[in-house]
Amino acid sequence: MALGETFTQTAVSLRTVVQRFSLGLLVLAAVGAMLIGKADTVLVERVRAVVSDLVTPLLDAVARPVAAVNDFVAQIEDVTNLRAENARLREENARLLAWQGVARRLDAENVELRGLANFQEGPQARFITARVVGDSGSAFMRSMLLNVGRRAGVAPGQAVITAEGMIGRITDAGEHSARVLLVTDISFRLPVMIERTRERAILAGDNSSRLKLNFMQSVGGIQQGDRIITSGHGGSFPVGLPVGVVTSAGEDGIRIRPVGDLSRLELVRVVDYGVTGLVTNPPPPPPPLHPVRGR
Amino acid sequence: MEFLHRLDRLAYALAPAFVILLLMLASLIPLRVPFLPSVATLLPLMAVFHFSLHRPAAVPAPALLLFGLLFDLLQYGPGAPLGISALQFLLVWRVVSSSRKYLLEVSFAFIWLLYALVVGAAVTLAWVLGALLQASLVDPWPALLQYVVSLFLYPILGWLLGRNRLAEASS
Repeated sequence: MALGETFTQTAVSLRTVVQRFSLGLLVLAAVGAMLIGKADTVLVERVRAVVSDLVTPLLDAVARPVAAVNDFVAQIEDVTNLRAENARLREENARLLAWQGVARRLDAENVELRGLANFQEGPQARFITARVVGDSGSAFMRSMLLNVGRRAGVAPGQAVITAEGMIGRITDAGEHSARVLLVTDISFRLPVMIERTRERAILAGDNSSRLKLNFMQSVGGIQQGDRIITSGHGGSFPVGLPVGVVTSAGEDGIRIRPVGDLSRLELVRVVDYGVTGLVTNPPPPPPPLHPVRGR
Repeated sequence: MEFLHRLDRLAYALAPAFVILLLMLASLIPLRVPFLPSVATLLPLMAVFHFSLHRPAAVPAPALLLFGLLFDLLQYGPGAPLGISALQFLLVWRVVSSSRKYLLEVSFAFIWLLYALVVGAAVTLAWVLGALLQASLVDPWPALLQYVVSLFLYPILGWLLGRNRLAEASS
């Protein structure tokens, strides 16, 4: 009992101290955090990686039920769109069959020409499949949390793709978690080119569902429906990953629709291209050669 | 029995903080239910408003500062503003808990109006600070949409969380 009373007394006096602790100081602390977040990004990112590592197992645990719910919602949506979707797929199938013929012919021709020219292939890419376990619905940022990290070979700067094309880039990696900055985020920039004209440009997100194209030498040649692919400049991505399709090209700039449905991602692949060129963070120290203790 | 009683009181005291943490996690879950993603980010703030009104002692300001910082770390990526949620939580707590003496006697409609004003101010503050810290004009529509959806959701969330209201008001 005596212990209990002491505990209660301590709690009461602690509460008095906390209440006296002026709110102003706490507000100052919050403002200070803003300034530190601006000034010492390395420290903040280290803390952020630790926090992500702590939370990812929890999110991972609920990932399957969440996926089940998402599937159910998607099924309802699909059933309502069945007829239109069917018509679209028929049309697309016809078009793709035509392209298949073209691709076969070009592939054969390519093999022959490479043989003639003694062409050197680029480095082979390695893929790491990851589940999307977190999703910031924030109004200021478009990013996702993945359930793989450095242990699996994920590093900042790597491209994140789906079957349809590139959707983002790894910006920080913890031991078991990594954060993807989506192409739609306001701070996302990517060297790209127009597939048809091979003209280079910088792709930029602005937090909306459409992307912008900056620094074009000329906008004359670009048409609605042109595909945008990675140009490989900056070094960290393979060349030719699809990124989007031009939806409008007018006086007020060029708008791009990203590939795939960014709001419906469950599994993505991280591309380890073996090259880290221009990345935002310093590369992580190399992993120890001997096996990790206790695991 | 004494032990169980104490355990019960401890659970009661910690429940609000636990709910806020849980909502912070829940807001990160990539659920694709229509309209839910657009409001998920505001769920912790809604709970902070609610508990500042009904259980202010259970959500002390220093804890809110920590929760806010944690939430900012969790929901944003590198280079993103830190501390905005913490500031939102603290200011909402301050406004609501200082006037709760009067608020506990008024009708729910009035509390809802207060929610609209306070959270509206907090969302605007976050938008302005976000734009300042990122040094670019952030599209205000997603934030506005979140706010409007949260207005309609608050009565439901308040009802779900609000069963302890009489207990503390009478003690």
